Amino acid sequence: MKLEGKAKMLRIHFGEDDKWHGKPLYEAIVVKCRELDIAGASVFRGIEGYGASSLIHKKHLLRSSDRPIMVSVIDTEQNIDKLLPALDEMVDEGLIAMSEVDVIRYVHQEGVRSPAS
Amino acid sequence: MTRGIAGFGADHHLQTTRLVDLAVHLPVKIEFIETGEKVEELLPKLYAMVGTGLIEMHDTTIVKPAERKQDQTAPDGPALKREGKAKMMRIYIGENDKWNGKPLYEGIVNGLRSNDIAGVTVYRGILGYGANRRIHKDATLSLSHDRPILLSVVDTEEKLKAFMPILDQMVQQGLVVLSDADVIKYTHNYEKAERRQEAWI
Repeated sequence: MKLEGKAKMLRIHFGEDDKWHGKPLYEAIVVKCRELDIAGASVFRGIEGYGASSLIHKKHLLRSSDRPIMVSVIDTEQNIDKLLPALDEMVDEGLIAMSEVDVIRYVHQEGVRSPAS
Repeated sequence: MTRGIAGFGADHHLQTTRLVDLAVHLPVKIEFIETGEKVEELLPKLYAMVGTGLIEMHDTTIVKPAERKQDQTAPDGPALKREGKAKMMRIYIGENDKWNGKPLYEGIVNGLRSNDIAGVTVYRGILGYGANRRIHKDATLSLSHDRPILLSVVDTEEKLKAFMPILDQMVQQGLVVLSDADVIKYTHNYEKAERRQEAWI
């Protein structure tokens, strides 16, 4: 896997409670990314936010929480284009934004685990 | 809105804790995506509200709008008062990555600080994978504690480029990307900084 120079960054915003075939949507997206051999994906959970439905996503102590989730994916334009149709199907109510980035460093050592792992 | 787990900003006061949930001064980032006009309309209010924080803006393309009823085109470059071109550097690593026996993200934050980089915020993700195909997972999903870490750094291209060789030494596994950013507000409250105590040794 090689990733260098110009690349695309996708940021997918939705809610923690969003589901895809019974599983959390963010898990399903990460699994789909791996299936499509996308270079990497990271899921971040926010503490407050609102989106398309203008409902505030917030953590409540007693009630169930629907906090904002952001999935960040970076790969070549070609690979990102492969992912987009799948995302379009999976992300029902959410926002997908794409930006251009320059890849400075991407290390892939087959079979080598980081010293800390 | 996301809360970081370590970072520093205009006052170069490092905010970190190992008991994340008990900390009060952790960095917070509020991110929103809107058209140029709306952003311009909101900026004066943000100026008034964001005391010594950083407001950063960059162009992005909407691939899929949140509401399906209309096709949004990418917002044009917002025509507002710019206080300078900058670069945003994002560093993706794992929580278990180490540097000289300490967490790598702490090492990078210290390195950035000693190189006088304007600011950094560290985010801990809940799930992800990267270059080595290891799944970084939250503790609730498995026993692994190697969650994804994102460091978001904003400064001029020259200063970030100067830091690259150091970063190159530190990041053994990971992804580093650079994108354009426009700095809207960046203030340094010296008086407040002096009154604060150094929390980092």
